[in-house]
Amino acid sequence: MVRKSLLYGLLALASLVTVLPLLYMVSLSLQTEAETLSPDAVIWPESPQWGNYAELFTRAPFGNFIVNSLVVAGAITLAHLIFDPLVGYVFAKFRFPLRNTLFVALLATLMVPFFVRMIPLYVLMANMGWLDTYQGLITPFLMDAFGIFLMRQFIQPIPDDLISAARIDGASELAIYRRVILPQTRPALAVLALFTFVFQWNEFLWPLVATSTPEMRTIPVGLTLFNQEYFTLWHLTAAGSVILFVPTAVLFVLTQRYFVRGIALTGLK
Amino acid sequence: MSPHPSRPARLSRRDMFRLAGAAAAVPVLSACAGAPTTQSSAAPGTFTVYWNAGHDYQAYRKVIAEFEQANKVKVNLQKYQWPDLRTRLLADFASGTVPDLVEEPGGWVQEFAISGNARSLQDFVDRDGEAMGFPSDWQPITVERNSYQGKVYGVQLHLTCNTLLYNKAMLRDAGLEVPTTWEEFLDAARALTKDGVYGAALNQDYTYVHPWLAQAGVTPYNRETGAIMEPRADAIAAMQFQADLIHKHKAAPVPVSSTVYSGPQKLFSAKRAAMIFTGPWDLDPITKTAPDLELGIAAPLKNKVHATQAAGVSMFVPATASRPELSWDFIKRITALEVEQAATKETGMLMPRVSWTRLPEVQQHEQIKAFADALPIAEDSTQEVRLTGQLGRWEEQLKLMYQQVIIQNEPAAEALEAFAKAAEGFLK
Amino acid sequence: MRMPRLRPSTLSGRYARTAYLFLLPAILFFAFMFYLPIGNVVATSLRTGPQADQWAGFGNYAQALADPAVAHSFLVTLTFAVAEVIGSIVLGLALALALDQPLRGRVVFRVLLLVPYLTSVAIVGLLWRNILDPELGILNRVLMAAGLPGQQWLNTAPLLTIAAVTLWQSVGYTMVLFLAGLQGIPETYYEAAKIDGADAWRRFWRITLPLLAPTTLFVSVMAVISGLQAFGQAYIITNGGPGDATDLLVFHIFNVAFRTRDFGYSSAQSVLLLIVIVAFTVIQLRAGRRGEVTY
Repeated sequence: MVRKSLLYGLLALASLVTVLPLLYMVSLSLQTEAETLSPDAVIWPESPQWGNYAELFTRAPFGNFIVNSLVVAGAITLAHLIFDPLVGYVFAKFRFPLRNTLFVALLATLMVPFFVRMIPLYVLMANMGWLDTYQGLITPFLMDAFGIFLMRQFIQPIPDDLISAARIDGASELAIYRRVILPQTRPALAVLALFTFVFQWNEFLWPLVATSTPEMRTIPVGLTLFNQEYFTLWHLTAAGSVILFVPTAVLFVLTQRYFVRGIALTGLK
Repeated sequence: MSPHPSRPARLSRRDMFRLAGAAAAVPVLSACAGAPTTQSSAAPGTFTVYWNAGHDYQAYRKVIAEFEQANKVKVNLQKYQWPDLRTRLLADFASGTVPDLVEEPGGWVQEFAISGNARSLQDFVDRDGEAMGFPSDWQPITVERNSYQGKVYGVQLHLTCNTLLYNKAMLRDAGLEVPTTWEEFLDAARALTKDGVYGAALNQDYTYVHPWLAQAGVTPYNRETGAIMEPRADAIAAMQFQADLIHKHKAAPVPVSSTVYSGPQKLFSAKRAAMIFTGPWDLDPITKTAPDLELGIAAPLKNKVHATQAAGVSMFVPATASRPELSWDFIKRITALEVEQAATKETGMLMPRVSWTRLPEVQQHEQIKAFADALPIAEDSTQEVRLTGQLGRWEEQLKLMYQQVIIQNEPAAEALEAFAKAAEGFLK
Repeated sequence: MRMPRLRPSTLSGRYARTAYLFLLPAILFFAFMFYLPIGNVVATSLRTGPQADQWAGFGNYAQALADPAVAHSFLVTLTFAVAEVIGSIVLGLALALALDQPLRGRVVFRVLLLVPYLTSVAIVGLLWRNILDPELGILNRVLMAAGLPGQQWLNTAPLLTIAAVTLWQSVGYTMVLFLAGLQGIPETYYEAAKIDGADAWRRFWRITLPLLAPTTLFVSVMAVISGLQAFGQAYIITNGGPGDATDLLVFHIFNVAFRTRDFGYSSAQSVLLLIVIVAFTVIQLRAGRRGEVTY
């Protein structure tokens, strides 16, 4: 029992450390501009300014920002859920010429910071006339080595016998993938969906350069509109950040049940 | 266990179909989502302007509406923070799709003139200059810093400078006069430092070093002689003076390296610092956060020279912009004296026209006048470096040297020596 | 360069055709969206000038290898990455183990611990910049209220401070990866070990850690990559300072590209960084494989 209390204490402390700064963000989003600029940091506003949230929508096409962010991050996440496990499965369970070379070539794509390939991609998209469009925002991120590597690592421990047995039963290769492999990888798929969505939802650099009209901006890029030349409109930036945070939190609450022991690998038992 | 020999499992036609369908689904879906497919400047009816997000004034909105009316175009005002605007612009230069007009924070005009990315506006100036008062009505420094090889490449939009802001009540309570020289400033700062209040606060940003260097009579770079930070002894003294203020006399807090310039302003507004050096951009936050603060604005300090640093934004037209006539018309409209007057009234911003300084809005406004009075002694300290095309490397080294001395309290002589050595390497 | 051998599979090579068919979309995608741009970067690295239009041969590479700023930046980055890798594996695994147990309210803890990861690096940077301000930040005001001296976090230990902030944000993410990995370990192994009388400590070393190896490999590879590519913390919190104390390599390269506008030089540095990270990863994958065999 002492051990358990200690565990609770440590977890509570860790949670406090992670959450307090974000509660401060919520507080900022409800302060007046004067309060946010106040040198003696205001812990909680005297009267919460819910109007800050409404102001976001009157000062900028914030509704568009939300829709754009949802469409772009949602489509990319969907694409990752389709492609990443398939490719990860191939690298985990198939033997074919050049497999190792291709895998390292794939991993190498992780090592390139995005801004390094940003200008070539920008030129490519400009030539295709895809700047300021959804396909321009989505295409460069349809799959990535992170997701593929993640899925490969999770598919690897699945016993080969399961696959062989399915083949004996006459299942097609795609059917094996869908009926045998995919159901085994639910926790990993949940992780993949969560991380992909969070990453794309917060992506800044590409939407910044690939959009030209305010109506096509995503939330992180749109939020920069609330900065002045030499200072930040903190109350609005914080309100936007709170909105930015909500969908990712909802997604996590939805996916986290896959991380509970027992649900995941019933097929193995 | 090996697969059944009689049924070599292979991908059926149907599987292949499904796979292809899945592969195609996402791009098709996204394409169907239907987004406008306009390209920034290629669209004929749209006039694209890159603007700072903080400069979207009502006064400018009015001008834009008139411009749209007169030229039958729609203005796409794209607002960015400066670093983002630069990232975007460099990507545009690489792809060839450029905006029609760009606002810049100071220094880019000559850089892009040298690199061939900015269009010379000299033909327009020759034609319309007299009528609009350019360059005769612009402060001379603003024309020089936007010219390259005798041709005009940009037009100044705002002109600002750095001067001394002080808390009147604090100085009065301590029985102090407003300092005018470095010695008086140091004495005042030391006398004012007590009970959690600092006499002064210096900025973490290296660009704030320029007024000190200018006042010490130091030329950062001389293209003719190749001299860097000379006279060196004066440059060392200027740097050491700031470091000592912080580390020896403890009359100012140690700044924190950051991407923002608002540190001193916050301390000043909090009444935790009695004196700061800054420009008009800090007036708005100060009055908003500390309405009861008795704000005093004094002339820049004098040491060997009475001088300060000029700053402020300009506009230029990319070399490959397709409708330079329209771009020039935009520049003319937005720099008209009435517009400057309206913008000053709206925001308190300082403007580059000489006739602007005589406006009642300027002369009768204590704070704006204090800045306007300092404009004649304001210098552009980095122009000589800019013209070498090496400003980026110079600033990287200057930041290093400044923070080493101011924050890390390394001896000024050594830091400046290392700076000069590095600068010689790329300026040669 | 010898490629790391992947775990042998029992499926025979006759499925190569299927494999390539499954891979086709990926091969096309990575060719166009990654290797085409990377090829472009390599080509740019051989050029110089603001438009990167003058031939420079290997001049940029020679310059980068001799540039003390690049060497310094690399050291800073390496220090940062080591702190990140160790910190995220130890803390992430500890939290995952704690939350894998049948604790009341563990869902709440999971959510709370992951919350920082769900927020963007930019927001986190801005928040911590405010919190850590030595004169006006909340942290020092709390410390002083408790009678402790205020600290100049970002001046005395800038690199460790931004490493801590990064860890603060990413630990939930490592935790989730480990949590997902822990689901893959069959309960029966633990039950068998218990019957054999192994205590919790032994069960951890003999079962959990070995069976978690693929996840640990993944987490450490990703931690090295993201540590070596860290950027946002310097970009938003410290601006690389004080002096050049937090001049992380990717931040340095970004500045060479977009502030100095020397795309040739920045591309050469990117290619060098790419080679270094690939080398690190290949070493890790090999070590990881050796590890799998030993267990």
